[in-house]
Amino acid sequence: MKSIWENYKTESAYDELMCSEFQPRQVSYRLCQYLNSLNQGDIDKRKIAAELAILEMGISFTVYSDEGNIDRAWPFDIIPRIISSTEWRVIEKGLKQRLTALNCFISDVYDEQAFIKDGKMPAEIIHSSKNFRKECVGMKPRHSVWANICGTDLVRDRDGVMYVLEDNLRVPSGVSYMLENRVITKRVFPELLQDIDILPIDDYPSRLQDMLASLAPEHIKKPQIVVLTPGIYNSAYFEHAYLAQQMGAQLVEGGDLVVNDDDCVYMRTIEGLEKVDVIYRRIDDDFLDPEVFRKDSVLGVPGLMRAWKAGNVSFANAPGAGVADDKVVYAYVPEMIRYYLNEEPILPNVKTYLCDNPEHLKYVLAHLPELVVKPANESGGYGMLVGPHATSREIAAFRKIIQENPRNYIAQPTLAISTAPTLCNGKLEPRHIDLRPFILQGENTFVTAGGLTRVALKKGSLVVNSSQGGGSKDTWIINMERS
Amino acid sequence: MLSRSAERLYWLARYLERTENIARLVSVHMNLLMDLPNGVEMGWQQLVRINASSRQFYEKYTIANERNVTRFLLTDAGYMGSLFSSLSAARENIRTSRDLLPDEAWEQVNEMYLFVRNHMESVHHRSNRIALLDEILKGCQRFTGLLSGYMSHNHPYRFIRLGKNIERADMTSRILDLASLLLAESRSDEMRQYETILWVNILKSLNAQLMYRQQVRSSVNGDDVLNFLLLNTILPRSVGCCIAEIAGCINDLPNNDTLPEELVVLGAYVQAIDTRNTTQEQLRDILDDLQNKLGELHDRIAHNWFMQGVIE
Repeated sequence: MKSIWENYKTESAYDELMCSEFQPRQVSYRLCQYLNSLNQGDIDKRKIAAELAILEMGISFTVYSDEGNIDRAWPFDIIPRIISSTEWRVIEKGLKQRLTALNCFISDVYDEQAFIKDGKMPAEIIHSSKNFRKECVGMKPRHSVWANICGTDLVRDRDGVMYVLEDNLRVPSGVSYMLENRVITKRVFPELLQDIDILPIDDYPSRLQDMLASLAPEHIKKPQIVVLTPGIYNSAYFEHAYLAQQMGAQLVEGGDLVVNDDDCVYMRTIEGLEKVDVIYRRIDDDFLDPEVFRKDSVLGVPGLMRAWKAGNVSFANAPGAGVADDKVVYAYVPEMIRYYLNEEPILPNVKTYLCDNPEHLKYVLAHLPELVVKPANESGGYGMLVGPHATSREIAAFRKIIQENPRNYIAQPTLAISTAPTLCNGKLEPRHIDLRPFILQGENTFVTAGGLTRVALKKGSLVVNSSQGGGSKDTWIINMERS
Repeated sequence: MLSRSAERLYWLARYLERTENIARLVSVHMNLLMDLPNGVEMGWQQLVRINASSRQFYEKYTIANERNVTRFLLTDAGYMGSLFSSLSAARENIRTSRDLLPDEAWEQVNEMYLFVRNHMESVHHRSNRIALLDEILKGCQRFTGLLSGYMSHNHPYRFIRLGKNIERADMTSRILDLASLLLAESRSDEMRQYETILWVNILKSLNAQLMYRQQVRSSVNGDDVLNFLLLNTILPRSVGCCIAEIAGCINDLPNNDTLPEELVVLGAYVQAIDTRNTTQEQLRDILDDLQNKLGELHDRIAHNWFMQGVIE
């Protein structure tokens, strides 16, 4: 009988489950032992069961194409990714620290800008940021928190250290897939989940609801919470509906809401207009309110900003929070932690070159083939250059693009991001992965136990985005203190 | 409850009921064909006619035979009234209403959709077709059971019942239409002989045979069956019962305007229908009139509660 491990070659990258080709890490010992007890047929059966469950549960994401929008089944790898609780406690602390500092920074940016006045960051970075909203200056959201929901991308480099790759503070997505991945794993490996002490994750919807409720204007006892979606054609519509359903909140589209002369937000119901207190919006700032931002937006609702400024409604995340979701601002987060919290950063940043800085730019242009270049304000893995994988023509084209608009680009060394065993044609092969934990901050701060592990299913690929051929895995934080 | 959600749930229920009804209709027609002797004129084109879809059908096909009609009614994605189109529309409506329903409800509809999509090609075989229709009927009943067992009987639930019963009343009247059509066309004595078989099959198509035997206690005949299926107020698929269900939902919904009174009038209208001593022609007029009244009721509901009504 041939082993499913027969092709397994740990590459030059750190492997999350294996110390070497044959030796599992302590934390993954039980899983590997179990996998070894399965034959090829068993593994195939589990994989098919998982695919069926995904189809029947209707877990999907939408891909835009010329033939219209296609609802695609969520690509899922049944082999979980594992982290020990000992390591996780540190990461969790680091994530809370980071979001707290980021929220201090955003409050400061829309207030006295002490960080800039004290010479910690050049003023141009804020002035030239397309996510800085002058309309938000002077606003004081509840608990002084602007970014209530954050999805931070973490990667592990060859040295085994977890680095923060970026902070997603606008409308981060993926949490529903994290939850559904666990549901599927419970169906596929019930015997394993029984035996191993894995931290549960399914309290997220109630934590989210608590956090959202904590944002409501103070005098309101039972706030009306809604999830505002751009609609059924949005790639994350599944998630919007899922979260609304899990929280028992209303899922609304722009057309369902109206702002009246009293500057309050109402939704159109069968009983007439009903007041809304908290909006978990999954629409970008640009489209939120055509009275203030893009005039042509049909997704948003005229007057939302009026209502927000009058204190009659709260948003998660607050408009303008995206100012800190900029890869140039990212480079300053360690300094923010020292400045606002008087602490040393627990989670390190990846070394970042700002093309705006002439010395950095010089270095970047001279080392393009070994760097990853990213636009400062894009998400979804679009518009980036992965130097080691690029042709000389692509590199030449990027050289020109960077020089035309240096503020809009940053560069980082190409990390050897870690790998984990992934089922490929019935055999296990190492594939590169990242991790997106979700952090909630309102009255309190909460971090999911683990997060969404995304995996680049193509051999050698470093791009994990679902829109570009990525998949995902269940993420297990194993309690090492007890077992 | 959002007006948009009310509208989607109402349509979800209508489309799902329509899916079930098409399955019933095709099933009963197949049964009838198996019972009747060869040579009795009993065409598949009647199925197309009672769905008011002759024009669309003949744009695509020349002959109304079993193969073409079942393909058209069951799997034609280009015909809005087909079983597959109805089921797809139901799925789209529930996909966009998942925040209001138990998870299992969505999974049930999604599973049925995937099942039909994966078995589209097999429906021209009779035995495969029977299996598929069976699966649909069971799936729709499971959905109804799920909601009744898992869901609070709240406003969303009422809009689902509302949609279901309007569609159901409409379909019952269409099935009676089919019966009258078949009888009107068959002048031959031979067909007359088989009239009882026809009416038994009509009862079966509405799962009403047992209840008929228990309540009517007469042998199966046209007049009694018509009365039972139109006027009875406790048989789920009789028009009278559907109207009573609709009235119940409407009375419990907020902002119901003058709709409760209008339902009283409609209920009285149905109870006053007298099918004895009518010619086939007159019966068809009565049923047409009933279908128009149900159409008007739909317009009133839409205007009162759905998006168009709320946006001044």
